[in-house]
Amino acid sequence: MDSKPQSSANSPPPKPWERAGGSSGPAPFKPPSAGNTSDVVEASGTANHGEIVSTSDRSATANRNALGRPAPPRPWEQNYGNSSYGGYGSTMNYNSGYGSGMYSSYGGGIGGTYGGGLYGNSMYRGGYGGGLYGSSGMYGGGMYNGGFGGPMGGYGMGMGGPYGAEDPNNPFGGPPSPPGFWMSVLRVMQGVVNFFGRISILIDQNTQAFHMFMTALLQLFDRSGMLYGELARFVLRILGVRTKPKKVQPPGPDGLPLPGPQNHNYIEGPKAAPSGSWDNVWGNDANK
Amino acid sequence: MPVFKTPFNGYSVKFSPFYESRVAVATAQNFGILGNGRLHVLDISPTPNSPPVAELAAYDTADGVYDVTWSESHDSLLVAAIADGSVKLYDLALPPTSNPIRSLQEHTREVQSTDYNPVRRDSFITSSWDDTIKLWTLDRPTSVRTFKEHAYCVYSAVWNPRHADVFASASGDCTVRIWDVREPGSTMIIPAHEFEVLSCDWNKYDDCRLATASVDKSIKVWDVRNYRIPVTVLNGHGYAVRKVKFSPHRQSLLISCSYDMMVCLWDYMVEDALVGRYDHHTEFAVGVDMSVLVEGLLASTGWDELVYVWQHGTDPRAP
Repeated sequence: MDSKPQSSANSPPPKPWERAGGSSGPAPFKPPSAGNTSDVVEASGTANHGEIVSTSDRSATANRNALGRPAPPRPWEQNYGNSSYGGYGSTMNYNSGYGSGMYSSYGGGIGGTYGGGLYGNSMYRGGYGGGLYGSSGMYGGGMYNGGFGGPMGGYGMGMGGPYGAEDPNNPFGGPPSPPGFWMSVLRVMQGVVNFFGRISILIDQNTQAFHMFMTALLQLFDRSGMLYGELARFVLRILGVRTKPKKVQPPGPDGLPLPGPQNHNYIEGPKAAPSGSWDNVWGNDANK
Repeated sequence: MPVFKTPFNGYSVKFSPFYESRVAVATAQNFGILGNGRLHVLDISPTPNSPPVAELAAYDTADGVYDVTWSESHDSLLVAAIADGSVKLYDLALPPTSNPIRSLQEHTREVQSTDYNPVRRDSFITSSWDDTIKLWTLDRPTSVRTFKEHAYCVYSAVWNPRHADVFASASGDCTVRIWDVREPGSTMIIPAHEFEVLSCDWNKYDDCRLATASVDKSIKVWDVRNYRIPVTVLNGHGYAVRKVKFSPHRQSLLISCSYDMMVCLWDYMVEDALVGRYDHHTEFAVGVDMSVLVEGLLASTGWDELVYVWQHGTDPRAP
């Protein structure tokens, strides 16, 4: 198809909707003014040419704005490092006793690692929006007491700075020159370092999560075994089966109890032990 | 229909209002996180014996190009929104050495969207991550007005296609605001979504209706005369909806693209609103447009660095 303009160069073909009828009812807008945009705005007294909004201005506007919640951090402000990756201490009181607050400690432990905008606004400058992926309840809630909720944000970390030093206000400066060799090398290296940083964080977290998972699994087996034993003992006792007297040893060949590690009840007993029975050595000494 | 491979990740695609076969594509290196950008102007020829896509021009920028819009007054003029906060004007008729013809440096943060006034045709607006929207005219080197009310990045600002003074803006503060350039403040605040609103667009046939797209995966259609409740809610995308656009030809048709890599067509008037779904992108689909000159001609781009132009109903990947 040839690229002939369908209309004169200064006005495009009429839009399809301009041929159609009007709107579905009275619009709540003031009727449009005649004239060009500059004149219209100037006539209304709202013109403010070339205003540059500084950061302080911006926070002022934020305060008088009707937003009912605190605004999330800016995409370029999300910082890596503070409070995002902590929270791995204080996790594992693994050797605390049976029935102590074992599982409750999981909540504080792994909290603050996953979720919270991994894909959020931080990572890509395209304004992906935060909050969707974070704390979606996939990890939160349930097994780990909602611990998996906190920010992992800050992947974008300040990479938004403009590069290149050409004067952006010079309209006739030609196309921006491509970055210099060292600039591009540094940029590539920054990209590589960032990439590996991200990868290593992910690997680390996966390792830790896997570790938690296995630990929990082991504990589960451990405790369930104990529970089973306890229940079995209980049931057997109810049934009247005596399971207690396990310490009775079959008599030895000469009518004396056999030596062995279980024989601490017989510390005071006769020294029938043959060689190798170190259990009684000190007891015998004490008796001497 | 033709496919064009861009060296960088696509961010936006727009059909020319003058030439039915011409599109402009905004791209940014490294997913727009850092690096350069490039603005492509492509000519698409439907005849099989010529190369399907010819690159008419390409302009390099020192930072990513997030959006582009065609001038409605000059067939060769383009406005690009750059991630370093500048707004650059390009003229295809001039040699590459004299482009950009203008660089407007007022935004203090990334400029995310730009839109040319289709009614009065002498001005355009840009929206930026510095929470402001700026109104520019071609005859001035500085902005005419700055609209600062949003509390977070303004992701999109779109003129009302039937009213020369009214535009809408979608922001990360979860609101959509309607503005009149003659009023000091916004004339309407629509708390449109619970999450960030990424895009909005006006209905071309009913100047009171607009659609909003949000991180909450939904598209909502609003009537500004009664903005307490949406006219309808369109669910179907699996992730945040990046862009939404009303058809220039059919009143109730709209197109959307999303981070679930889908491009969806919706008819918000009917019960089964999802009328088309294209999964040709293999990465986030972030730019989509409908031709104003050819009914049913669609274009999309995404982070898979591909630009597709296809007729609705056909497979975009078909050669």
